[in-house]
Amino acid sequence: MPKIEKYSIIFGIVIYNIFNMFQKPIPEVNIHNKEHSPNEPDDIETVVGPSVHVEGDFSSEGNILVKGIVSGNVKTSKLFTSERGSKVLASVKAGSAVISGAIKGNVKVDDRLEVTASAQITGDIDCKVLVVEAGAALKGKVTMKVQELEGSKNEKKSGLIRRAVKEEE
Amino acid sequence: MYVYLYDNFLKQRKFESTIKAIETRLTDFGIAGKIIRLQNFTNPQAIIEEEIKWGAKVVVIVGNDDTFGRVLSRGAASSVLFGFLPIGNNNSIASVLGIPEGESACDILSQRRKVKLDIGWISNRNRYFISQLHIPPGDITVEYDEKFKVSGKHQKMELVVCNLQPFVWSRKGKDNFVVHPQDGKLEAFLRPMSGRGVFKDKYEEPSIFPFEEMTVSSDKPFTVEADGKSTKETKIVIKLAKNRIEMVVGRERKF
Repeated sequence: MPKIEKYSIIFGIVIYNIFNMFQKPIPEVNIHNKEHSPNEPDDIETVVGPSVHVEGDFSSEGNILVKGIVSGNVKTSKLFTSERGSKVLASVKAGSAVISGAIKGNVKVDDRLEVTASAQITGDIDCKVLVVEAGAALKGKVTMKVQELEGSKNEKKSGLIRRAVKEEE
Repeated sequence: MYVYLYDNFLKQRKFESTIKAIETRLTDFGIAGKIIRLQNFTNPQAIIEEEIKWGAKVVVIVGNDDTFGRVLSRGAASSVLFGFLPIGNNNSIASVLGIPEGESACDILSQRRKVKLDIGWISNRNRYFISQLHIPPGDITVEYDEKFKVSGKHQKMELVVCNLQPFVWSRKGKDNFVVHPQDGKLEAFLRPMSGRGVFKDKYEEPSIFPFEEMTVSSDKPFTVEADGKSTKETKIVIKLAKNRIEMVVGRERKF
């Protein structure tokens, strides 16, 4: 490339940047170039960004996506998603959940709880369906509603059978 | 009775033909009315209240987004039906309301398709905002619905509250996420500033919080731009004013 042409390109870039520097900042919060995460739900209503710290009880009627830190209870009737690197320092109540971050508190999910390989949960888990990926760290008691019901019914049945056998004897 | 509030910029010669065409069309429809020309320092609310006393039933804003925001920032407190005739550049709100620019907007006005709209209310300043509120990066603390506080790892945060103008979050391979004005909540987009670049400031990924009440406060005064009007504040309380204004909208509105 000839020297003059090269200098003119550099000069153009410098002028463009100087022009941009003195322009009034536009209130654009577009995140068009944002990379899409595979865990992201279809209709996100609340997003806690990666460098944001939320203090206090936090509830939403829609889906919640946590990428930052939440120090307080989180409650939603829909999907709760925590991304890798996120922290929730209190209990979580949700309709369903996909956890990839750290949670220090109890997790109560009405339907399906998915725990990915990067997840760390320190607290009791209460859910209907549990999916745990290899590598996930769990420390606490796991209670599953369906199993509990079936288990308790079986115990009752076996007790009745035992009584009947004793009576026959 | 119809009252038309004309913006000051419509005096320019280039708008003469459009104004004439609109006025003829309005007369054809039988909805022509009193014309009031807004000056830079006129208080629209006082004018609207005065006209309501004189029997005004519909107040039509004629101008662009700035006119719309300026009139409704105070005028939204009045209980009257509002209409909008968009003229000139800077007319993005009109497309959201499904109102075409220029002469054909009269057709929409004559059809009187009424819709109640939720708008934002800065309660401690008694000011309304229709489309967007913006707080440039500053040391602000945000508290939502008196329940939880939001702070950034980096001190400075930028805040945008969207209402009427939809905010489009385009996502790769999926449908865009659009913020609608009629969902019963306001949406706040909070973007922490991670640092200053040589030519451009660097920002973190934004957070989104739907809310009904939000308090923004700071020790130092911060700039608040609501519908294009800037003020300096140390504390503002933003609330949702549900179904606050009744407006004539088009069939092709985006909500």
